[in-house]
Amino acid sequence: MILVLSDRRDDAVEMVLPKLAARGAPVTWWDPGEFPAGSTLTAAFADGAHRIVLDTGSERLDLSEVRAVWRRRPNPPEPAAAVTDPSHRRHVVWQAEFLLDGAWELAPARWLPSRREVERRAHNKIIHMARAAELGFRIPETVYTNDPAELVPAYERAGGELIAKQINSDEFTVDGAGHRAYTTVLTRRHLTSRHRLRYEPVILQPYVRKAVELRVIVVGGRVFTAEIDSQASRTARDDWRHYDDDRVSYRAHRLPDGLGRRCVELVASLGLTYGAVDLILTPEGEYVFLEINPNGAWGFVEEQAGLPVSDAIADWLVAAENGKES
Amino acid sequence: MSDFATALESGVRLLRGLPRRRARVHEARTAAAAWAAAHPGLRAELVVDERPGTPVVDFDLLIEDPEGGTVALTAQADDGVPWLVDHSTHWAAGQLVTVDEVHLSVAQALTMIRSLSRRDTTPHDEIVDQCLILNEVQRDDGPVPDEDLQAAADEFRRGRGLHDRAATLAWLEETGMTPQQFEAYIGGIARRRGFRRRKEAELGPARLAARPEAFDRVRAVWITGSERAVAAGAALLRETAGDRAGAPGGTAGAEGSLGAALAALAAGGGIETTLAERFAFELPGPLGEAAGGTVVGPVAQGGTFLAGTVLERTAASPDGPTLAAAGRVAFAEWLAERRGQASIEWHWS
Repeated sequence: MILVLSDRRDDAVEMVLPKLAARGAPVTWWDPGEFPAGSTLTAAFADGAHRIVLDTGSERLDLSEVRAVWRRRPNPPEPAAAVTDPSHRRHVVWQAEFLLDGAWELAPARWLPSRREVERRAHNKIIHMARAAELGFRIPETVYTNDPAELVPAYERAGGELIAKQINSDEFTVDGAGHRAYTTVLTRRHLTSRHRLRYEPVILQPYVRKAVELRVIVVGGRVFTAEIDSQASRTARDDWRHYDDDRVSYRAHRLPDGLGRRCVELVASLGLTYGAVDLILTPEGEYVFLEINPNGAWGFVEEQAGLPVSDAIADWLVAAENGKES
Repeated sequence: MSDFATALESGVRLLRGLPRRRARVHEARTAAAAWAAAHPGLRAELVVDERPGTPVVDFDLLIEDPEGGTVALTAQADDGVPWLVDHSTHWAAGQLVTVDEVHLSVAQALTMIRSLSRRDTTPHDEIVDQCLILNEVQRDDGPVPDEDLQAAADEFRRGRGLHDRAATLAWLEETGMTPQQFEAYIGGIARRRGFRRRKEAELGPARLAARPEAFDRVRAVWITGSERAVAAGAALLRETAGDRAGAPGGTAGAEGSLGAALAALAAGGGIETTLAERFAFELPGPLGEAAGGTVVGPVAQGGTFLAGTVLERTAASPDGPTLAAAGRVAFAEWLAERRGQASIEWHWS
């Protein structure tokens, strides 16, 4: 049995399900956001053994039968609507998360990309950048800091071409409206408010000139690389997440020998079986590591660059079901 | 402390107190002007730095150095706002509108405007309609047939007078599009046209069956103008209706009789006359539902008055043109229904 943990509206799951069906693999798609309000989980211990049963409301699943789990975009546990007191609701979520984490730990399955805690650790930029540097990736001269005294020296070292990024992506508001902190190319104006760094750490990096940006998808031992021509767009040239699909084109890219293998090593060394590695290819032909997202998007890599990621994910999950590694 | 040092200190206090919001720049300018008036020797000027995509603004105060030259002052209060938050942008900065799952960037909207063609609607509504169709085709990643691409490209070029390769290349240069981007752009248009064609073909037969009388072929004449002129025209049409009904020679004879009536009407002036064959739903006012030989009006119609008569009415048949018309009507109704259900958010209006 393959268990998919994700939101019911997840398009990526919709892309893989037909591939799993074609391979004859039994699948349960469940969102932990339905627990405990709409599903039950029972872990029973007796006679020195245990049995964990998940009842999703439409099927009962003995977790000992689950061979592979695809942890995509699960929602956090959600209390029933009848639980109204905010402190009670927090209590419900806390209890439910603990039980789920324990249940997943005991399920004899392998995970794509990993269990929650491993993913959380791997997602930490300072951790995966250190690992990437150890593995020989070229990384930009990077400072993670909340020390205002670091700002001007970093700006000068970068010859006035410095960018700032968030430590972790997040949403917030300014005057009540949702705001985002995308990759910010600094100007001298930014230096005049250096004291604000004290309130929150940021990432400072020299601006790396791009020929193209690359998203490398690693599934087990397989590597798929999409080239993102973000430089064709004024909107997306500093941060392709501004998306300008009328101008930005995507195509398959062949990584040099050894670099793809290094991406696989990076993913594995972080305890992951899947990862989306972001690289820059400079006009001089150098590959520069930016970051790895343990559950990063791959839909556009398949749809726009024509790379068969959904097949690779299905193969990986089914191989576990069949007791094979891939 | 020198007078200049005192003025600098005062200038910093001014800057620290200015509201750093785009909506309050006028207030800031007023405060700075008052400060400048109180320090006439410094020839002070406030420079407002309005950043794109955020309500936050920055200020600099330029003042004349008594020893020559210019001093630029800037000041940022310690207000507890983290650095990247202070320099963030609205989540929809660079985006124009969100329609359900489609986020249309300003760049995409500018490109889209080049292909807007309908004269019966506003650019706002047409952009929303295009976004609704984009929602439908965004998961359609199959190849677009070559003939569809060619048809879309030909129509686009014809609409802009781009009759040869040189003219097209010049247009691309002018708009900043590469040939590859143009190809992708035309591909998008072709995909949306393809969706529309399929949807019209899918919905047309049922729409025709639901109300076939709307697709009767109707030959009619109608007049529009002032109430008085149209009333006189309607009376004339009624007076001559009997002649037309009994006219020897069938339709031709009836139209001969009508010609005489129209000539009399035109002599009176002040009216516009139309003689046409259309689908019933395309006729103005109550003419679409009128039986052959009936005279309707005068009725108020779009700021003027209308009267007319149906000369001949042929029941709808499911032929190609009729099914195509039913498809167009059904598609417009489907789009209107989708628009009613859609979540539409204009970000900068």
